[in-house]
Amino acid sequence: MADPLLALREVGHSFGGLSVLRSVTFDVPEGGIIGLIGPNGSGKTTLFNIVTGYIRPLAGTVTYRGAVLGRDTIQQRGLQGLVRTFQTPQVFEQMTVLENVMVGCTKLTRTTMLQDLLRTPAARGQMREIRDRAEAACERFQLTALRDLPAASLTAGQRRILEIARAVAGEPHLLLLDEPSSGLNVQEIDGLRDWIVRLNEEGITILLVSHDMGLMTVARTVHTLYFGEIIASGDMAAIQRDPRVREVYLGV
Amino acid sequence: MTPRSLLWLAIGLVVWAVLPFVVPRYIADLLVFTGIYTVAGLGIGLLLGHCGIVNLAQATFYGLGAYASAYCTVMMGLPSIVGFFVGAAISMTLAYVIGRPILRLTGYFLALGTLALSAIASALFFEWDWLTGGTLGIGGIPKLDLFGFLLDRPSRYYFFVWIVAFACMAVARNLVDSRTGLMLRAMRDSSTAAAALSIDLQALRTKVFVVCALFGSLAGSLFAHHASFVSTQSFTVDRSISFLLIPVIGGATSIPGIVVGALFVTFLPELLSKLGDIHQILFGLALVSVVVLMPEGLVGAFGKLRARLTKRSSGHG
Repeated sequence: MADPLLALREVGHSFGGLSVLRSVTFDVPEGGIIGLIGPNGSGKTTLFNIVTGYIRPLAGTVTYRGAVLGRDTIQQRGLQGLVRTFQTPQVFEQMTVLENVMVGCTKLTRTTMLQDLLRTPAARGQMREIRDRAEAACERFQLTALRDLPAASLTAGQRRILEIARAVAGEPHLLLLDEPSSGLNVQEIDGLRDWIVRLNEEGITILLVSHDMGLMTVARTVHTLYFGEIIASGDMAAIQRDPRVREVYLGV
Repeated sequence: MTPRSLLWLAIGLVVWAVLPFVVPRYIADLLVFTGIYTVAGLGIGLLLGHCGIVNLAQATFYGLGAYASAYCTVMMGLPSIVGFFVGAAISMTLAYVIGRPILRLTGYFLALGTLALSAIASALFFEWDWLTGGTLGIGGIPKLDLFGFLLDRPSRYYFFVWIVAFACMAVARNLVDSRTGLMLRAMRDSSTAAAALSIDLQALRTKVFVVCALFGSLAGSLFAHHASFVSTQSFTVDRSISFLLIPVIGGATSIPGIVVGALFVTFLPELLSKLGDIHQILFGLALVSVVVLMPEGLVGAFGKLRARLTKRSSGHG
């Protein structure tokens, strides 16, 4: 069997003696959609922060494409194709929609400070490439009508799509979505689900964290996190039948 | 470019070219200082407006440029261009070495860190009198000689300083419009998201700090050749503060705003000084009014006013 794209082994973490993750082990296979559910405080975001390099785990290892992500910085992980979104969308508020997406493309090109200061042909060429890519991404995500508006003026739903467009413009291999449906209306959630499926079909592996059981049906495998431990794994139907999950979520 | 903006550009150029010949000498002198302060202010504007960094150390790099020019020309008899390069090299190296550790700080702590740098440098300029001449300073700095053309009058030096200032403005504009500029603004708006998109915050801040130091040093060298005398009084923390005021007053994200800010800090104290002892209080009041009433600086406030006027006139048909 092929190695998984991302593998977590016995990952553990605690904040000031309070254990938030205990020996979490699971795989994210290449091309899959893996879901992570759990009530508030179950450690989902901490796990995300560990995978993306915002936090270094106190125990266990995270392996990406067969190599252990040890001291790799957030930026190095991003360059390797690991890109996340945030629970509260983090758009660049004072920049336009198009500029936001352009920032997502900057990692695909390289210029030196001197080239940028002197506006050399190379620097101009790179900038043109960034703009072309960003325009294509705006077109694709139906943001073209909004492209010259400051991101601060967008609705919650538009911000979410912008954040995803910006992440996808940088050509990720593994897209980590943190609570992407929070703050969205039912219609927007349907749109979001379509996007997740479509991006996955194009070859982007997705790790999805959510409260939203409806959205979670897109995931092939769902892991349930409860007080830092995985208490159940399987497809969504199996998870919903699981007695421990029912106890945690419904108190029955 | 529209014909209208082309016309404004032409008018601006004519005014700029004629100005030093029609104004009194002391005004021409102030205009030279405006150009010098524009160069120094551009660096601080890049840091403040595009990275959200308050730099209170610009007088340090200004001083390094000035002393390098003074020492190289007066003490060592080298051509003036050498002073410019030596000052720039020392300033950029210092900015890099000091920037790496202190740019890890953010917000007020970073501002205090740069303030401390300015205070230390100011003390060292005073203590190292074997190099700087201490309070007595270094005098007799020659006027700039541009391929045999001596820039010995304020009107001549005016053109040279402003051509340098315009070149620096073009370079700053290039940076803002470039890939680096995009990453800078992203970092200013959300450093968390910028990091997730593989932007190396630390390296980027350090690079802009180095560019800021280069502008500071260049301005210092220009100052040394204009004043022909440099001493510790010119490079104190006070000077760092007035440099910081340039982008704050003019508008930190606007490049023409830096010129407006530089005009404000060079001309206003001079004009107010005619009113006697009260002038410092009036300058303080003017300053506070701008900061409180126009958070985006004079240029930002002007832009808003114009937008409101066009809206109103179009609204009434």
